[in-house]
Amino acid sequence: MNRPERHPDLTAFVLGALDPEETEEIRRHLPSCSRCRSELEGLRKVNRALDAAPPPVDPPGHLKDEILTRLRAERESRTEYTEPGKPTSSGGQTKSPREGRLRLLSGAAAAVVVAFGIVFGLLRAEAPVVTVALVPTPEEAAGLDGYWGVAEIRPQPSDNQRVELRLNNFDEPEPDRYYELWFASGDRRISAGTFTSVGRGETRVWLNAPPEARSFDTLLITEERLDERASGTEVALKGKVP
Amino acid sequence: MSVTAGDVLEGERRPGGPRPVTSGQMDALSDEQLVARLGGPEVEAAIARLYDRYCRTVFGVGLKMLGDRSLAEELTQEVFLKVWRSSGTFDSARGGFSTWLFRVTRSAALDLHRKRARRVHPVPEGDSQILAARDDSAGPQEIVDESWLTWRVSRALDALDAPYREVIELAYFGGLSQREISRRTGVPLGTVKTRTARAFKSLREELVLADAWRVATR
Repeated sequence: MNRPERHPDLTAFVLGALDPEETEEIRRHLPSCSRCRSELEGLRKVNRALDAAPPPVDPPGHLKDEILTRLRAERESRTEYTEPGKPTSSGGQTKSPREGRLRLLSGAAAAVVVAFGIVFGLLRAEAPVVTVALVPTPEEAAGLDGYWGVAEIRPQPSDNQRVELRLNNFDEPEPDRYYELWFASGDRRISAGTFTSVGRGETRVWLNAPPEARSFDTLLITEERLDERASGTEVALKGKVP
Repeated sequence: MSVTAGDVLEGERRPGGPRPVTSGQMDALSDEQLVARLGGPEVEAAIARLYDRYCRTVFGVGLKMLGDRSLAEELTQEVFLKVWRSSGTFDSARGGFSTWLFRVTRSAALDLHRKRARRVHPVPEGDSQILAARDDSAGPQEIVDESWLTWRVSRALDALDAPYREVIELAYFGGLSQREISRRTGVPLGTVKTRTARAFKSLREELVLADAWRVATR
């Protein structure tokens, strides 16, 4: 025996896209049609899934160009910074095997960082407004091998401050942790954003700080926990903004 | 001589990286093949193709997760730049590009959420604890819980041909009746009904393949 045909307006009924009289007709039809009653549940599942759908809005047209412009700038910047004879990585970050916890720094490494920061600033054709050498906090710099960082701060037309971080041997955080960059002054801090690291090798991060961070004199990189109730925030790197 | 899809695939295994292709051939490449080109000279063309395929989903999911258009724009920029910077970590053996891109998007959205939640906070002298400002928006866990379903539904909608997606968007998001959709689009009422029914069937098939279905209907 052939199954009865499904009512052609059943989908529109579930969507609420029928006129009142058509809706009423479906309501009268359903009690006598097992096929439609059976179909109805499946259609309602799709309709419920649509509740999670994002609004049908296209991103602004200029976004693609901005992404390509930033990508181009970062590629050029990388080429500029690459040591002679040293190949660049395939993506934006150097890949490395996953390392353990944060490694500590020797005093010699800190000196290299400072020197690197100065040379770095001098070599750039378009000099950054501020270059900050980031070194481990004293209590952690217990003479083990090194991680360090350099931050370049560039004011933006919007008055925000764009910060480019380059971190060396900065370990990938544990799954429940992440890093955060702060502008600090006395007892006040402003977050410039959170990030993770690739571990051994170089990690590059681009972050933005609000205009009020201009007057702050210290940069801090802290290791944070996803569970904000947990204590134990550590300052991993610190630098003085000249 | 024309270059076949087989040639393109073979090119992915060349020691010097993927074989360069023309713009038309770039369109025919899979997501994974485009990712393989992000480390080479065709990076801009490859990221542009990936953007065209996924920008609507990334932006839409960002808008849904963060509830703010400018943050969703910032998110979209960060996500596609992260795709380029982290392309070396993508391993197709561990899952498709869409799933990987979802993880990148979710991670970037959480970063933006945290950034929005923490601004200027006084810290007591000598206290290493960082005080977090609270707001009334959804917390990170809520954002994560909903985001995979949002992603899947968005991809399922994107997989529909434009005329089919249009009737769903006008009915579901626009609140229009079938008759109003017919009047607005100039498409006969019977065609609107057929497209709506077929669009729902396609959505159901797409979602049934994903765990989104289980999450949506539990």
